[in-house]
Amino acid sequence: MTQLVPHLFNGLTLGLLFALIALGFTLIVGVMEVINLAHGSLFALGAYFAYSVLGSGWAGETALAAWWAGLPIAARYTVALVIGPLLAGLAGMVLEVCLRPTYGKAPLYGLLLTFGAALVIEELIRLGWGTGERNLALPQSINGAMFLGGLIFSKYKIFAAGFAVLAILGVWVFLEKTPYGAIIKAGAHDSEMVRALGYDLSRLRLLVFGFGAALAGLAGVVMVPIWGLRPHVGIDVVIPAFLIIVLGGVGSFWGSVVAAILVGLAVGLTGAYASAWSMMSMYVLLIAVVGFRARGLFGRKSALEA
Amino acid sequence: MTTLSDISPRSGAWLTPQKLLLAAILLTAPYWLPAIGLYQYIGVEMVIWIVYAMGFNILFGYTGLHSFGHGAYLGVGAYAFGLFQHHVAVSLWGGLGAAVAAAALAGALVGLFVSHRRGIYYALMTIAFGQVFWFSAIKLHGLTGGEDGLLNIPRPGLRLGLATVDLNDNVAFFYFAAAILLVVVIGIWRLVHSPFGRVLQAIRQNETRAAFVGYEVWRFKWAAFVVSAMIAGLAGGMFAMAQESAYPDVMSLHQSGLIVMMVLVGGGLVSFWGPVLGVVLYFVARDVLGGLTETWLLWYGLMFVAMVMFRPEGLAGILASLRGAVPGGRRREIAAE
Repeated sequence: MTQLVPHLFNGLTLGLLFALIALGFTLIVGVMEVINLAHGSLFALGAYFAYSVLGSGWAGETALAAWWAGLPIAARYTVALVIGPLLAGLAGMVLEVCLRPTYGKAPLYGLLLTFGAALVIEELIRLGWGTGERNLALPQSINGAMFLGGLIFSKYKIFAAGFAVLAILGVWVFLEKTPYGAIIKAGAHDSEMVRALGYDLSRLRLLVFGFGAALAGLAGVVMVPIWGLRPHVGIDVVIPAFLIIVLGGVGSFWGSVVAAILVGLAVGLTGAYASAWSMMSMYVLLIAVVGFRARGLFGRKSALEA
Repeated sequence: MTTLSDISPRSGAWLTPQKLLLAAILLTAPYWLPAIGLYQYIGVEMVIWIVYAMGFNILFGYTGLHSFGHGAYLGVGAYAFGLFQHHVAVSLWGGLGAAVAAAALAGALVGLFVSHRRGIYYALMTIAFGQVFWFSAIKLHGLTGGEDGLLNIPRPGLRLGLATVDLNDNVAFFYFAAAILLVVVIGIWRLVHSPFGRVLQAIRQNETRAAFVGYEVWRFKWAAFVVSAMIAGLAGGMFAMAQESAYPDVMSLHQSGLIVMMVLVGGGLVSFWGPVLGVVLYFVARDVLGGLTETWLLWYGLMFVAMVMFRPEGLAGILASLRGAVPGGRRREIAAE
């Protein structure tokens, strides 16, 4: 049993991180009924922006650059953790504007458009940052390993999982306990009524999409020290996110969190016995669950089935 | 927007001007391909992908089922062809038969799971199965050769009576693939204009209504999936011959997405011939744009995004509306062809 503890720990942290990845995806699917296949690319974009912010190349050869490079890594990391996702959010807003002609049509068009956008963003990343693998510098305090009960744990994984929990709770509080969240949820439920009440629906959509994209970027900054930063990391990310949403049930916030943890545990435990097949366990889990429960664990009927 | 269902009553005919045009282009292609700066192998590639795309469009355009994991069946066909050559016998028809049979089997199994789903759930389930096949192809080293794939797959000769045509020559292979393409085109044409094809289109227009009329919708969706997978398998077998190898990359989500893009850009949603246009455009873009800039995929992606935004009916739709704008134009028939 004790040999399983590290695998359970790995599975649980991975699950929480998957939940973080799926967070922005859930929001956009739930509110706008758009399957955003560019989610993974926005994830990568956020991480690449953070990578650039951490370096000093953006300021050129000026005194500003020297001052920035002289700051402690922890300060620069914190700034990058904010700026990276914000820029990804801006990119998401551009994407939302492109998506407008597809509203009111079959959900396929949103899916196709974002697939094309994913391709474009990936190529732009290759242009801007090259094709090689990059590493995000980390502050010493969250790097390295720690010992607990005779077992080694990665400090960064604990940090990332804790961060994921905070982000999930934060988004939940935002959606459930603030008036903004109420408007967003009302927009998902009955957009015509929301418009009739005087809210600007297109601005609402723009902001929700931007917020979802920023969450993707945030997940990117947090995840890439574990997964590595390469231009095609987006496609490795969007499929688990998509899968988790469907497994949990489209439109269900806690459903996606539960599904993410299940997927994480499945991957972690498969890793204990057959590590080569660990990433495949999630597809098998999906096929097993959705084969019997068409709408996932907690899903309700939605427009996406038409 | 015109759709595939604006069908004129006589369109089930075996021979149409478009098919003769296609046959003429295929017959003469090896003579003018080098003259316009291309090479023989691109003709082979295009023909194989047109077979694949036309089969895919039975599902995508005609039945309205959005499979995002179709590369799996192309890959299964390619591996089946290669394994047959390596382990059973070096045989052209045996290999292609194995490719079709293996893809049909894979399609039949997956079809059982996905045919009760619709919309986005259908897309997702096909993605999940596609990933399972792709992953298995990478991990089952002993069978598939892992990431490198199966190498040294021979191109068996074509026996015509006493003589044997050597298909190692790309021109001979092109004519072989083109002949198969013509058979596939005529077969699909008959299929989509048959009562069965009409039911598929009814399912696309309104699945619930088709069910209320009395059709057991999932059986039709399953059959469409299997037929489409078989044609993908046939294309895969030829692809293994063309490449003389079979590798997992064709099964990746990226490649499965590309076929969706090609079919949509060409106008598969509105025209029988859409997939042909889409494949030709893609390969020309790859070679012509690719010769000019390393980032051709960026431009292709941007064009695709613009197409989805403004012209989701694709190239064929643009052509149809151009011709329909001519006084006395034949809009309805064009949409059917």
